[in-house]
Amino acid sequence: MSDVDPHDHHHHDHDHDHAPISSDQPPGYYDIMETAVRELLIERKLFGADEIRRQIEVLDSRTPALGAKVVARAWTDPAFKERLLHNGRAACEELGITFYDDTELIVLENTPQVHNLIVCTLCSCYPRPVLGLPPDWYKLKPYRARAVYEPRAVLAEFGTTIAEEVEIRVSDSTAVVRYLVLPMRPAGTEDMNEEQLADLVTRDAMIGVVPVAYNREAA
Amino acid sequence: MGSEQLVRRLPNDIGGDPAGKIEMIEHELLPWEKRCHALADVLDFHKIINTEEKRRGVEALGGEMIGKLSYYERWIVAFSNILFQKGVLTPGELAVKMKEVEARFTPNDGGHG
Repeated sequence: MSDVDPHDHHHHDHDHDHAPISSDQPPGYYDIMETAVRELLIERKLFGADEIRRQIEVLDSRTPALGAKVVARAWTDPAFKERLLHNGRAACEELGITFYDDTELIVLENTPQVHNLIVCTLCSCYPRPVLGLPPDWYKLKPYRARAVYEPRAVLAEFGTTIAEEVEIRVSDSTAVVRYLVLPMRPAGTEDMNEEQLADLVTRDAMIGVVPVAYNREAA
Repeated sequence: MGSEQLVRRLPNDIGGDPAGKIEMIEHELLPWEKRCHALADVLDFHKIINTEEKRRGVEALGGEMIGKLSYYERWIVAFSNILFQKGVLTPGELAVKMKEVEARFTPNDGGHG
């Protein structure tokens, strides 16, 4: 809904429709522009209407559950983990995760010595084939601007404290190179199977802003 | 600071800039926003507009528009501008088509397209 659009938080006066969306409401200016551009390009046979529909289905099929499956497999299969760290894209493809764009995937392993964080300072590049679309905060200025010079302060805002002796590495994405954080497997999960482990892995842990948590008491 | 900073750092390149607290907000995409994202992917597949061109197209909107338009509003305006520059569409064609699309939703027109 437009009333939670990130840019509406900044008291702008653009003619955005702030009312709740319902089917009997006329579309807004940019909604109309999107329809017009798309239809003109389809009329010119530059692509088919079916391609847009299919791509919407592809976007809907991408969620952090895919990344979680990759992480859980890496935690339980050392040979897979080695292949994943060597070539992220190829290893994901082994699990049936297709890459619908031309991007490479570099998987960054968190260890007791190194904590990784991913960002895109230039726009919003993100490992979409394995995580879906990024959250709004990832695309907004505070995260993009600050992650590279005060990652510990940024992490603290997510409630994450990384010990002083642990090195924090921030990786800045590009249009063709995307990153995924392989978080550390939490203690106490030795008896869990791959599926149970995957349930613990969150989107934010794979961006690197939080660790994977396991609360034995609650489980 | 010398003018060399102007060529070292383009407007989108905000890494390292001072900025405020992170607002942990997210929203489900509106239907048109998702269509806009799918359009971007399809434009990329067909080598009509790639990701880098899209990013530069957003940058070319300038500070005021970047600040006032929402994320996908910037995208669709950037796509339109790039398509004009490439000679794929003209501003006149887009204006006529937008009027046509808009007319589908006006009640007295009778037709829901």
